[in-house]
Amino acid sequence: MIAFIQPGFWVFVLAMAGIYGIFSLGLQVQYGVGGILNFGHVGTMALSSYTMAILVISYGVNFWIASLCGVAVAALGGAFLGLTTLRLSGDYFSIVSIAFSEIVRYVIFNSDGFTGGSQGSLNIPAKVEGDYPTYTNTWEPFIGWVKDRLAVIFGDNADRDMAMALIVWITLGILLIIVGRIERMPWARVLRATREDDDVPAALGKNVFQFRLQAVILGSVIGGIAGIYWALQFSLLSPDDFLTIVTFYGWMILILSGAPKVKGLPIAAIFFGFLYGGTRFFTFWPFSILDSSQRAYIRIMIIGLVLIFLMLKRPQGLFGKREEMVLE
Amino acid sequence: MTDFIQLLFNGLVEGSIFGIAALGISLVYSVLRLVNFAAGDFLTLGAFTTFFFTTSIKFPFVVAVVISMVLGVALSLILEFILWRKLRKIRAGTLALFLVATGVAFIVRQSIAMLFGSDSRRFEIDQIKSFEFFGAIIPQAQLIVLVCSSIAITAIAIFIKKASIGKDMRAYSDNPSLAAVSGINVNRVIIATWIISGTFGALAGVFQGTVQGQFTNAMGLDLLLSILAAVVLGTIGDAYGALIGGFVLGIVMELSTWDALLGGIPSTYKPVVAFVVLVIVLLFKPEGIFGVKARKI
Repeated sequence: MIAFIQPGFWVFVLAMAGIYGIFSLGLQVQYGVGGILNFGHVGTMALSSYTMAILVISYGVNFWIASLCGVAVAALGGAFLGLTTLRLSGDYFSIVSIAFSEIVRYVIFNSDGFTGGSQGSLNIPAKVEGDYPTYTNTWEPFIGWVKDRLAVIFGDNADRDMAMALIVWITLGILLIIVGRIERMPWARVLRATREDDDVPAALGKNVFQFRLQAVILGSVIGGIAGIYWALQFSLLSPDDFLTIVTFYGWMILILSGAPKVKGLPIAAIFFGFLYGGTRFFTFWPFSILDSSQRAYIRIMIIGLVLIFLMLKRPQGLFGKREEMVLE
Repeated sequence: MTDFIQLLFNGLVEGSIFGIAALGISLVYSVLRLVNFAAGDFLTLGAFTTFFFTTSIKFPFVVAVVISMVLGVALSLILEFILWRKLRKIRAGTLALFLVATGVAFIVRQSIAMLFGSDSRRFEIDQIKSFEFFGAIIPQAQLIVLVCSSIAITAIAIFIKKASIGKDMRAYSDNPSLAAVSGINVNRVIIATWIISGTFGALAGVFQGTVQGQFTNAMGLDLLLSILAAVVLGTIGDAYGALIGGFVLGIVMELSTWDALLGGIPSTYKPVVAFVVLVIVLLFKPEGIFGVKARKI
């Protein structure tokens, strides 16, 4: 209960909400514009974060370059997913996309000598035998520098999470501007047309498949960026971080915000973050009859209930307009 | 040769479980256009309720299985009345149905976890007794699973083909509005669909629990992907296709670990094999093994 009034915890939640927001923005590009139901989005996050971690730990690559490589691998993963399955009609694609992320997780889980397997990044073989396997050596001084700048304003309250939250939200802001711009471009208009119907854009000489593929790749790049921040926020990775449920957290934010526009996304991300973090404090009756491990289950149940409730009562999201909603 | 027979048997057993689970999903999809992501957790529910009634209340195993099937049907019907019906009324689209099904899955899974904890469980049945067949070891429990699921599959195949409600189902899934105007009782069709799906879900869960020996509350979820692969492989919405897809996948997954095939792959990668098979099939025949043409959604 004490943590409830501690600002530190909520700053952590804010940082997480920003990461989920970036993640969800990747889905927004795919679904909000292209109508593509990608349920394997978490796979891109797993690909980028693990690529970065392995390059840094096992090969001693510079962190910034490794991060770029990570995002590139996420994009490649998206391209692979799109090339193999995007020609399928909607329902098929969704099922296969879930499989994509699960296979990524499965391979990470079972490749002990390479990804660290079930023990996560702590078990990734270091380049120099005996070195502690960490990928944050370059990042920590940087975030420490940001923290020191924040300390000028916030004094002792400034901490690592606050610096992280700032960086994440600046990134999200930049991405929102970029994606907002992209979504006003002719490219996005074509993509919107393909969402409604394949034949009309095809008759106008547009390669529908290519446009969708580009949308998936762009979404995967954004998902990959979220993956890097995810890795940095926790300082270690585990295959269990990338369960399919994370994709649905992203979807929930997107549905809350109203899919066709990016405007509501930051608020939806914060709403989700606080719902997710807040359920930790459900210690009052009737939840008080449960022990703490049982209350952890309640959290996911509440997320499930909110999803169901939203779809029944406000399918256009909290901030969307009904006439704009797309539910094909 | 012994290895081959062993793997073939394992594949048949696993395939028959995939088959009946896939059939439920495929039937629900063909009638309701709903990909039931909660199906995996209904499997788990079936296994855990059977476990509960055999160990805590000491019912005979068969009775416990029947009760589990009834509970599976009851829950399916409750969801039909409080959720799916309303969603149909507001003409919810693919995404809405997906997300609601996922929400249901979360709730069912977490409820099981809350009630039974996260420990692994096992049925109180004889797991050791087995026969030898050309050197391969055939456990009695698995043989029973194979026989029972084969009976269930045959029964349902005859039911869909011959029974009037089965015909109604096929008609409705082909063309809902035409079926409705020609006097088919749509409600009856939908309820029958959920009854079959609920029964088969619970049954598949019990079978899988038996074959695995030990199971946790993640059993259904772990299995869901392979089942969905079977569904898509046999053309989504096609009941017989789902059965055959299940068998094909079960056998391919088991045989992929065979030493004689380039050393075989580690058995932990079996679910990956399921999807590699699926992706290859989809690349060359996007409508599934038995599909006529891709159905546009």
